[in-house]
Amino acid sequence: MGKGLGVIFTCVALGLAVQGCQHAPDPDNRTGKVRIVFKHRPMVGNTSEFRERLASFTRAHPEVDLMTEVLPNAADLTHQYYFTALAAQSRDIDVFVADIIWIPEFARAGFLRDLSDAFPPADIERDFIEGSARAVIVGGRTFAVPWYVDVGLLYYRTDLVSRPPRTYDELESFANLAKHNDPSLFGYLWQARQYEGLICNGFESIWGHGGVTMQGDRVTLDTPQARAGLDFLRGLLDRGTSPKSVTSAMEEDSRRVFEQGRAVFMRNWPYAWTELQKEDSPVRGKIGVAPLPTTTGEPGFGALGGGQLVINAAAPQSHFAASIDLVRTMTSLDANIAFAVANGQPPPRKAAYTDERLKTQAPFIASLYPIVARSRPRPVTAYYNMISDIIESEFSAAVTGIRSTPVAFGRAQLTIDRIAQ
Amino acid sequence: MTRTRSEDRRGYFFVLPTVIVLVVVAVYPMILAAWISLRRVVIVFHEDHFVGLSNYAFLVRDPRFWTALGNTTYFTVVAVIIELLLGLGFALLLHTSFRGQKLFRAAILIPWAIPTVVSAKMWSWIWNPEYGLISRTLPNSDINWLGMPGYAMHAAILVDVWKTTPFVALLLFAGLETIPTVLYKAAAVDGASSWRTFFFITLPLLRPTLVVVLVFRTLDAFRIFDAVYVLTGGGPANTTETLSIYAYKMLMRSGDFGYGSTLAVATFLCVMAISAIYIRMLGMPSRSQRS
Repeated sequence: MGKGLGVIFTCVALGLAVQGCQHAPDPDNRTGKVRIVFKHRPMVGNTSEFRERLASFTRAHPEVDLMTEVLPNAADLTHQYYFTALAAQSRDIDVFVADIIWIPEFARAGFLRDLSDAFPPADIERDFIEGSARAVIVGGRTFAVPWYVDVGLLYYRTDLVSRPPRTYDELESFANLAKHNDPSLFGYLWQARQYEGLICNGFESIWGHGGVTMQGDRVTLDTPQARAGLDFLRGLLDRGTSPKSVTSAMEEDSRRVFEQGRAVFMRNWPYAWTELQKEDSPVRGKIGVAPLPTTTGEPGFGALGGGQLVINAAAPQSHFAASIDLVRTMTSLDANIAFAVANGQPPPRKAAYTDERLKTQAPFIASLYPIVARSRPRPVTAYYNMISDIIESEFSAAVTGIRSTPVAFGRAQLTIDRIAQ
Repeated sequence: MTRTRSEDRRGYFFVLPTVIVLVVVAVYPMILAAWISLRRVVIVFHEDHFVGLSNYAFLVRDPRFWTALGNTTYFTVVAVIIELLLGLGFALLLHTSFRGQKLFRAAILIPWAIPTVVSAKMWSWIWNPEYGLISRTLPNSDINWLGMPGYAMHAAILVDVWKTTPFVALLLFAGLETIPTVLYKAAAVDGASSWRTFFFITLPLLRPTLVVVLVFRTLDAFRIFDAVYVLTGGGPANTTETLSIYAYKMLMRSGDFGYGSTLAVATFLCVMAISAIYIRMLGMPSRSQRS
């Protein structure tokens, strides 16, 4: 067998080596149709609306063979996936959903198609909420169209407190009062595992303490307000207002504990509302939502997240017109409202919130407008993914008490300035 | 030795496929990584130029690198020692005959059979401070294993021990099976105590296997990524960040390919150094087997 097998092995090895370098054969030729590939995160809740929208798109475009692919519901993983694929100029992706924090990075890298002709920046600024518009316009050009928004909210138990707290002091005193009546309760749940969610929690507290995280083009962390913001979060753990489990918690960890009725307050995203109001939820009908607190008592600022539709710059030119139309179909005012009703996705278009359909069919989403309008984006910069890594670890150090905030923020600022220079 | 030239040639021909595969999947990426580590490559900023050894100069001054190296070393030393001791115990148990032995042999392999990411996810539930098994069994302990500095690393070590001890036990068990039973019979006739038998027969004859296990486990543990990444993501505050996690974050998350490659090369050099030390100190298994 010797020789033959050796030859086979060699061929297989070489074949594997060569195959990696080839592009898949262009699928367009086989069907005679333009194949548009749309990649997105899993849809939460009722997906019929989503499928119906896609179906209406394919009916309007008989020349298109639309393929959808679901990616994992983990921002870090999908970022890595797109980053690798787009850096290799993959032509196999046409339209995809990009997290709000990736747009400046991907636009600067040249991964994204300039959409300014179809979606002029002026229109975007006029129609969409400010934070989303700011994130998708890079250097005066439109690179993405907001699809839905996400915002940090304060959930509270209407049966345990009479009204939501406006200041941090109120948050703590309300929590302590409720805990006094029922010692088994936790006060305030939030997320401080070393991951992107900790950055959102940290920034929200910094903004609530009067901090500004971006001055001109510079990301500023080492400020008295920022230190106060993180010191407060650390204090929540020290004073027992928040349980120690917070330092390893992500959104779902908080949501489960809150859903069991074991906490007074929770910071989370709008998705939790749908979960908490499900039929078998122990806290169903006993929860309210409010803006996060601040030191002054004015409504606080939630971190802005959300998905935007973008078009791959390396996708074939012949796909562009249909891709633009797909983006249009999914991000129209009608679509905004439909997805808000079916999937609980807060719409990025301002007009959606005054629409009667939203008010009657998704009153919760409609009621979020004041909070959505005040939401703030994390620093809008092309090197966000480089600095978030540092911010994450220093926030984690400050919250777990490994380093004092002056030391942690001094370190973070030093590295941020080195990267940004 | 009467090897002919044609036999020689055939020999080369037979190893050729292996050599090609190794060159394609191991040597080429290694050289490429070393080359990239001498450059500044940041795709987002369209930067790609030669910078000589400046990445390495930064590496030496980078506190995060030294922390990661310390974490990795601590993880490796503690995990491997515990795994070896426990594994040896289990191997000896497997080697004796008792009722339910077959069941025991199968059961002990379960942790090893579960994919690492799955078992790490499972353990992160077990460690969960609100509704995890540990906090339920130790009420009022008030320890958040994965969220408190100091604890998180040991939680990760425990997961690795749980996962890998069966592997160690199995290899050592195989080693025990090769020891001729006549030696034990002779020792029994001479009236040797079981301790003496263990220290003067079992352990010396098991040495070659022990060395192999030690090398395998050390190199594996030093490159630990999946279990820790799933459990803590490197947190809190990078206290569980290992070299592989740091390199991954630099490469895949920050997109800093130059410095990320430098970290990868540094990890590679550490692993090479460990192998060299082992071979020096313990000798190659084949040599000790002959002695």
